[in-house]
Amino acid sequence: MKERKGFDIYLLYLIPVFLLITVVVYYPVLKGLVFAFQDYNLFNTTNITFNGFDNFRHIIEDIAFPFGQILCNTFVWVFASLVLQFIFGFILAMLLKKPFPGRGIYTSFVFYTWAVSGFAIGLIWAWIFNGQFGLMNDILMRLHLIDKPIGFLSDPKYAMKSVIMANVWYGIPYFGIMLLAALQSVPEELYEAAKVDGANAFTRLFSVTIPYIRPTIISTTLLRMMWIMNFPEIIYGMTSGGPANSTNILSSYMLNKIYIEFDYGQGAAIGVMIMTLLFTFAVIYIGITSRKED
Amino acid sequence: MSTHSCRKGLLTAGRFIALVAFLLFSIGPLLWIITTSLKSTDEIYTFPIKYIPSHPSFESYRKLFSFADFGMYITNSLLVTVSGSIGAVFFSMFGGYALSRRKSRRSNKVLLLVLYFTQTVPTFILMVPLYTMVVKFHGTDNLTVLSVIYMVTVLAFCTIMAKSFFDRIPESLEEAAIIDGCTTTQALFRVVMPLVLPGIVAVFSFAFTNIWNELFIAIMFISSSSKMTVPIALNSFISKAGISWDIMSAGLVMALLPTMIIFAVGQKYIVAGLTDGGVKG
Repeated sequence: MKERKGFDIYLLYLIPVFLLITVVVYYPVLKGLVFAFQDYNLFNTTNITFNGFDNFRHIIEDIAFPFGQILCNTFVWVFASLVLQFIFGFILAMLLKKPFPGRGIYTSFVFYTWAVSGFAIGLIWAWIFNGQFGLMNDILMRLHLIDKPIGFLSDPKYAMKSVIMANVWYGIPYFGIMLLAALQSVPEELYEAAKVDGANAFTRLFSVTIPYIRPTIISTTLLRMMWIMNFPEIIYGMTSGGPANSTNILSSYMLNKIYIEFDYGQGAAIGVMIMTLLFTFAVIYIGITSRKED
Repeated sequence: MSTHSCRKGLLTAGRFIALVAFLLFSIGPLLWIITTSLKSTDEIYTFPIKYIPSHPSFESYRKLFSFADFGMYITNSLLVTVSGSIGAVFFSMFGGYALSRRKSRRSNKVLLLVLYFTQTVPTFILMVPLYTMVVKFHGTDNLTVLSVIYMVTVLAFCTIMAKSFFDRIPESLEEAAIIDGCTTTQALFRVVMPLVLPGIVAVFSFAFTNIWNELFIAIMFISSSSKMTVPIALNSFISKAGISWDIMSAGLVMALLPTMIIFAVGQKYIVAGLTDGGVKG
């Protein structure tokens, strides 16, 4: 590379991207972190003062929104959604690995749910789970599994299961797409060698396929976990965190603080909690998964 | 021999049933919302359900476009989404190209990390400070400002995607062009860009889908009803008394239509871009 001129050009190409991201993403995020320690309410913007950890204390001690329940909901929402999305996504990817007639069109239909907005998904599933005229009640009654309609979204017993089902519907394509690409990269010789050694389909899955695509499994589940944790749209469209807080997770709680109570300080404090939790999870997760490698 | 072929037959049948189950599960809810939108209001609110509308009609759509002025919201959404996506493609192509071709590996790693980190930040934490910032410049309730904000929110991932597409194009092609007397920028436009067209389609589709679907930033930044986007309009159909499912179902179908078209056209490339970029869906 004789001419150094090219290097400057590359830098010039990069400047707009990083300038825009700094101004519109990083700077507001840093400011948001400061808000978490301030008494920042839209109804009282003239008198914004630092209040230490008051916002955090309010959130943890609020009786109307029991913090323990919200944490527990968050864990159930993230863990159940992630596991189910992963398992079904994996099965789908395995099914799609071998070509069959019409596979192209089939995948467009099956993967399309990825492109639907979280809010629209919430609304569509709110209609399906409707307690009076819902499709789910009708199907279950025709199959004689229930005698009378269930208020899926008004009964705390069913609400969390319902929102998780909508989230699974949305998330299967992500794992399907990612794992299909990974599966297609597994060299055929490895399967042949395992077959020669007398491994059946089940052992081939656990001794060849899964170890080979392990890096993809780790990175996709980790990223998906972060994404689900920060994803209140479905819950907003279906239950807004109700009934009786039974589907309220940290991010939907944050949403309500900002959009309904206009308490930006407390909203930001929840944001800080989410980021801390995610960071801790990520470190533990990476720690566990990388230790096994030796 | 016969048990072997029998087992094989069972496997094929099992695979077929599983594929059908996945298909029904994924398109069922979409078909159901389309069916609902074609029913009369009376038929929407009957139980047990009527699965096939007795008099399919576009009455709900007529209401949607006359009472709710949905045509205007679609226009607003299209303006914001198309301009934001074109901007994102433009900047991310340059950025992705530079990241793919720069020699300094260490600073590239840092820059990539900066891009990846944006994916883990909760959007809501930046929303309020961003809002107060925009208020200072009197930029609220403005579709152009909204479109710029949207462009930047998708820019990081678009750049990661763009880089992965450039990575697949051998550098020797531009080197040859430069030896033939092209400048770096000329080489980029004449030699590399035509080859990276699938990448452009993928980045555009990704940006379009994400921007078209966005609700909460729009709610915060847009206040007048003449500037509402489609997601805000859908949100406004929710009232304390509940949801009118005739208008809502028609609105949802209209909201899904553009992303369906985009996905049908760009699916192959989006899938390639997502798996290579390896992040968020």
